[in-house]
Amino acid sequence: MLRALLALTLVAALAGCSAGSTAYSSPSADSITIGFSAAPANLDFTRTDGAAIPQALLDNVYQGLVRLDANGAIVPQLATSWTVSPDRRTYDFQLRPGVTFTDGEPFTADTVKFSVDRVRTAWTISLKSQMDVVDHVEAVDPLHARVVLKQPSNGWLFSMASRLGAMFAPNGVGNLATTPIGTGPYRLDRFNRGDSLVLKANPGYWGPKPAYGRVVLKYFQDPTALNNALLSNGIDVISSVQAPDSLAQFASDERFTTIQGTTTGEVVLSFNNAKAPLNDKRVRQALTYGIDRKALLDTAWAGKGLLIGSMVPPSDPWYEDLAGVHPYDPAKARQLLSDAGQQHLTLRLRIPNLPYAVDSAQVIRSQLAAIGVTVSIEELDFPAVWLKQVFTGHDFDMSIVAHVEARDIVTFGNPKYYWGYTNPTVTQLLAAADTGTPEQQIADMKQVARTINADAAADWLFLLPNLIVAKKGITGLPPNQVGEAFDLSALGRS
Amino acid sequence: MRNLVIGAVLVGLIVLAALISFLWTPFDPTQVDAALRLQGPSGAHWLGTDRFGRDLVSQLMVGARTTLYVGVVAVGVAAVIGTPLGVFAAAGPRWLGEIVLRANDIMLAFPALLLAIMFGAAFGASTLTAMVAIGIATVPSFARLARGSALQVLNTEYVLAARSAGRTGLAISVRHVLPNIAGLIIVQCSVSFGIAVLAEAALSYLGLGTQPPTPSWGRMLQESQELLAVQPRLLIVPGVAIALAVLGFTLLGDGLRDRFDPRLEGHRAQG
Amino acid sequence: MMVILRRAGIFLLTLAIASIVVFAFMAVLPGDPAQVALGVNATPELLAQTRHAFGIDRPLPVQYLDWIGGLFTGDFGRSYVTGDAIGPQLLDRFEVTLWLVGAATVVAVVVAVPLGTLAAAKHRTASGTVVSGLSQLGAAVPAFLAGIVLVEIFAVSLRILPSGGWTPPDADPVAFLKGLVLPALSLGLVQAAVLTRYVRSAVLDVLGEDYLRTARAKGLRPTRALIRHGLRNAAVPVVTVLGLQLATLLIGAVVVERVFVIPGLGSMLLDAVGGRDLIVVQDVVMVLVAAVLVVNLLVDVLYTVVDPRLRRAR
Repeated sequence: MLRALLALTLVAALAGCSAGSTAYSSPSADSITIGFSAAPANLDFTRTDGAAIPQALLDNVYQGLVRLDANGAIVPQLATSWTVSPDRRTYDFQLRPGVTFTDGEPFTADTVKFSVDRVRTAWTISLKSQMDVVDHVEAVDPLHARVVLKQPSNGWLFSMASRLGAMFAPNGVGNLATTPIGTGPYRLDRFNRGDSLVLKANPGYWGPKPAYGRVVLKYFQDPTALNNALLSNGIDVISSVQAPDSLAQFASDERFTTIQGTTTGEVVLSFNNAKAPLNDKRVRQALTYGIDRKALLDTAWAGKGLLIGSMVPPSDPWYEDLAGVHPYDPAKARQLLSDAGQQHLTLRLRIPNLPYAVDSAQVIRSQLAAIGVTVSIEELDFPAVWLKQVFTGHDFDMSIVAHVEARDIVTFGNPKYYWGYTNPTVTQLLAAADTGTPEQQIADMKQVARTINADAAADWLFLLPNLIVAKKGITGLPPNQVGEAFDLSALGRS
Repeated sequence: MRNLVIGAVLVGLIVLAALISFLWTPFDPTQVDAALRLQGPSGAHWLGTDRFGRDLVSQLMVGARTTLYVGVVAVGVAAVIGTPLGVFAAAGPRWLGEIVLRANDIMLAFPALLLAIMFGAAFGASTLTAMVAIGIATVPSFARLARGSALQVLNTEYVLAARSAGRTGLAISVRHVLPNIAGLIIVQCSVSFGIAVLAEAALSYLGLGTQPPTPSWGRMLQESQELLAVQPRLLIVPGVAIALAVLGFTLLGDGLRDRFDPRLEGHRAQG
Repeated sequence: MMVILRRAGIFLLTLAIASIVVFAFMAVLPGDPAQVALGVNATPELLAQTRHAFGIDRPLPVQYLDWIGGLFTGDFGRSYVTGDAIGPQLLDRFEVTLWLVGAATVVAVVVAVPLGTLAAAKHRTASGTVVSGLSQLGAAVPAFLAGIVLVEIFAVSLRILPSGGWTPPDADPVAFLKGLVLPALSLGLVQAAVLTRYVRSAVLDVLGEDYLRTARAKGLRPTRALIRHGLRNAAVPVVTVLGLQLATLLIGAVVVERVFVIPGLGSMLLDAVGGRDLIVVQDVVMVLVAAVLVVNLLVDVLYTVVDPRLRRAR
């Protein structure tokens, strides 16, 4: 009480010094501040993994030939149109004329060749392997680029809509970690590491001028701090609510609107398929039957989100609802464990120190205790320690991570991936899906999703929702988060 | 006297809650139940439930165990290392005393929370790592106190007599010095206990303290902070528990000090 | 003068040993910085190359001397994760933390000195007891909890102050001050509670001294006598405690910076720990340790200046 009183006096004294006691707000109407949860370590997504960098820079500073729209469809960006040869190996892109980078260099077919080739020569992140299918790139004429693939690939053009397809200025790649140079509607104004990223409208932009001349991307590691910033008018938008239980605060407040859609972020309880005891399918199935995912979603993410049952979000063409295949059935789980001779199982659940993982882990531990499985939870610093010990070192029984990359179901075709799932049928189906016709792709991918679900290769706990809270009057916020980018140029005001 | 009584009652309550929790809690404090989430106080759940549907009273009781564990480890490390170090520095040869003093200076450069963060980085986050770090950082205050009071004891006539009778430094330390400074060391233990409880809360907030699912008051705060506006009860309960625990140990220390050394009212709380 | 020189010598020696402790601690940490920097798909050749580039393939004593030599010339090395020079960022962050600690110290002193004096002057009355009791209670509240509650009151409900963030003083002085209020309060009030107790007991000690009785006998009113003669003498133990508290504040800022999303040294340290950017951890820890030692040195020097008796005694 005394402290509160003292606080009041001091605040009054200090507030008296400052001009007026109006609310803390954005400097001008032309500016918008958006709160994010994960801060980029630097600005170079060619050498640094993680979702934060492309989220801020792709489509805003960097652009590709194509991009994903809000429904996940591939639409033109720096290419005005393209054709695919009958053997589906050769792509001819017509390029947008009159496009320049912020350092003044023109965007031409040579730029396309430079950028696509550079993925193989200079990039280091693991995703770069998606460009291995490229045989060569030709600059046919300044506004006509041709990409020839080694074999047909349905996934390649989709990858070109991600950070892998970003176009770089040949003279502008000297210091990507701090100085991004692109063709997009915004250019970098200031990067305060760990705190904020300030973008300003690119005056030389080829497209329509964005509604906000200045965008501040502000980073909050702490979910509560993020919420409080919006509640106290410090920011205008929460790009992704990390504490859904607190949504009630915003719903009851006239100042805000809430958007709820889907993402590509599958929260996966991953099993170490390569190591006993989880190399036994019966044990994995038992765990899957032993977890009440509805209750878990209600507890860990306030019931927001979607039960999916496999590694496919609804925005993919081969989505099927597989959530009911392994219903919650503790009796069956116990039976399977006893069949496998594992009535006294102890498992190490090694998780990143992120809210969704820590919350889910406590639910899982409690639920699995009911079927006689002892779970020990270990929190690891994310990303550094988790990547090293779990992802690279495969030192775990189970983990919980949101796999946010689009179409990451293909990882089940890679036996070296951290969950160690080896199934030649799945690998074959994935390869056939990539090279086959689009119809075949859908059929094959459905088969893959069903197979990994039947094998209980992992337990898909839920799909993260796209939960945005914004001040009323801000338009153009993405209803679904299907790609890597957070498109700022679509924002407007009513 | 009043301090002593209030402090002893508060500390006694915590010990009692911890002891009972070994035999009985209203519910399993780690039992998650989605259907019971965020319920207000009721006949079954006297303080309601948290985000996981866990019973708050049960968590509070088992959390008292964690609190005591935290204090015992941190204070234990500090007292067991610091006290003999201080006594030997006083009773031993001069150069030993000098070395202990300089080592103390260096240790003082590593405040408790900083050391705990470094230990967390090195050995992974856990209650034990954090509290060993807090304990090590508290060694200097024990060593200093022990040395200071030991010097006083060593200058008393009966010790000088013992020395002239040919007793070794070690024998004198064990027979005369330790019993005489024990009171002050106990006072310091009580005060440091409170500081350790605060440190556990801070470290749990930073994710470097108690790991789930072990209930701890610091962790309860950390897990519910986003709900301050919606369900303030979830922060008030552990917050008050922490404050009362710290207050209890500080008052107990003050009260004991008044008994052992009535002249030194209020001094030495932080060494 | 000799005392101060001797003290400075001890300071340098302590600093040198502390730097060895910090370095040794980081050297034995598990984890390969090259692996962390390169991520999951690094080839052994690239790893070796990166280790060489970081200079961590050299013998430890060489690495230590190189690091220490760099510190003297202001070269803090380059981050393993981002590749950026650490020095400039460290300086920025340190400035932020110093503002915060400075403001919190002001809060602590402004609150504690009058309250502690009051509690001592009226120590047999109800108001004195109330102040003592409240200071006990205040010292028992975790600083981050105080921060969370202050944010809820002043930022979320009343909306008169920002809930967090940082504006540099030169960019917008008003926003800077507003942003500083809540963090400084949550850091400073808890320390004020601790300090109040010391002020109280220091003043109580002084009140019992002969010269104060004399002054009162000569007709000065008690408060007058206290202010004129007593406070200076009470200042010695209070300054000592304040010095020790400064160290606590520096480290306490780590937590408060997290609550208020302030880009200071504390958040830099936590980020670096989370990212296992060990060279940054090493640098930040060293800066904090050096700062604590400097504060201790200053307190000692000040001590000898304020209290002439100690010049001879030491």
